[in-house]
Amino acid sequence: MLILIAEDDELILRTIEHKLLKEGHEVLLTRNGKEAIDTIKEKDVDLVITDIMMPFASGIEILSAIRAFGKKVPVIVLSSMGQEEVVVDAFDLGAADFMVKPFSPNELVLRIKRLTNQLS
Amino acid sequence: MLDLITLHELILAVIVVLIFVLILVISVLIFSFFRYKSLQHRQSWTTIIQQKITEVIVDGAERLPKDTSFALYLKIPSFRRYFLSTLVSSERKFTGKAREEVSRLFKVFNLEAEAWKKMRSKRDYLIAGGIQELTAMRVEQALPQISELLKYPQRQVYQEAQYAIVSFKGFEGLFFLDELQHPLSDWQQLRLLRSIEEVPDTHFEHINKWLGSRNESVVIFTLRLIGQFQLLTYYQEVLMLLDHDMVTVRKHAVRILQNLENQSTVNQLLTVFDNQCIEVQLEILKALKASKSKQTELFLQEQLRSHPDIGIKISAAEALMVLEGQSYLRAIVTSPETSSQIIQIVNHALQEKTC
Repeated sequence: MLILIAEDDELILRTIEHKLLKEGHEVLLTRNGKEAIDTIKEKDVDLVITDIMMPFASGIEILSAIRAFGKKVPVIVLSSMGQEEVVVDAFDLGAADFMVKPFSPNELVLRIKRLTNQLS
Repeated sequence: MLDLITLHELILAVIVVLIFVLILVISVLIFSFFRYKSLQHRQSWTTIIQQKITEVIVDGAERLPKDTSFALYLKIPSFRRYFLSTLVSSERKFTGKAREEVSRLFKVFNLEAEAWKKMRSKRDYLIAGGIQELTAMRVEQALPQISELLKYPQRQVYQEAQYAIVSFKGFEGLFFLDELQHPLSDWQQLRLLRSIEEVPDTHFEHINKWLGSRNESVVIFTLRLIGQFQLLTYYQEVLMLLDHDMVTVRKHAVRILQNLENQSTVNQLLTVFDNQCIEVQLEILKALKASKSKQTELFLQEQLRSHPDIGIKISAAEALMVLEGQSYLRAIVTSPETSSQIIQIVNHALQEKTC
């Protein structure tokens, strides 16, 4: 599965990348919202994991862009404590799941598996 | 005057100035060079450290392969300090097994000694850093020493000690509030509140003591604690705080009563309204607005008409709008007996609603 990660925290980005590679997925890394939107437009990714707050474009803008491109890509949103309202907005825009930071990478992998099972 | 300075002296003076400028330029260049080097180090160190943390989170600290180049870096004192501070900040980004693995790194690389050394130093910021690191590593043996630092004169240190004790002990860590003389800042209150996961039923005598504390910030913190954990059994105690000497305590008491609201809350707020100062009255009006209780309608109309303070009139009009009292407000605006000030306030409230 080709998974795009959009995250501006380098440690979190690298940890998720390492974890997903170990699980046998292919990974695309982006460090800001604009880069993520451009990559989603160009490539057919199977899943997006995105942070809510990022430079240039937020996770919400990424969700809007996916909708505008007419792509049906499941999105897992990573939010921080106190961003409940934004998470609700994300679900309105079609987010498939969300996780609150600080988070467990193991749980993220489990959620990806669950999501993949649901989709298949 | 010019006759007094010879050409020889003038040249000498110019040379001195030039030497001074040269020394200054060289110093700036040396400083910039070292700063650049240190930044370069930091950048490469960050990459190395992040790589190590990622490996540990994914593969586990026990499966770490022998890394001789990392071992060499660890011999550099500034690298060890940077590694330690990066670990502390990284630990906060993860939960579950990942967090445990990051914490284990402290022990694998024997960083505990570093943190102890910092806590025993004489500089306040180093002591605070040491407390932070030992707390992140969950070094429980440090608790007695950290407890002693609760009485340290410098804020940076005693605040970190307070946070550490609560992180280790949860609610029981708050017992320092019994004798706290310093004010608890809003930020510190927030940190402490976020570290508490539950309030045991058995500690009611402490909560009562804190509610009666002479330290205003302790009372406010306890009110926030009651609100956060919805401790409904303290409703009466919170209600009694509406007679407290300090305005800020009374304002917070109104907020928490709104949080714990029951069938009598609105009536109780209406009863105490006249005895309160404007600041508390405004807080009560906010609570009444949030309650959306129809029984406040006549009271709000009265405040809009007769209260001498313009802020109260505005709040009353806004609360009436929430109660769907547009028809009353429109009637006021069209009445020839209404003063221009009231018309302006009502129009403002009506516009707010439209927006």
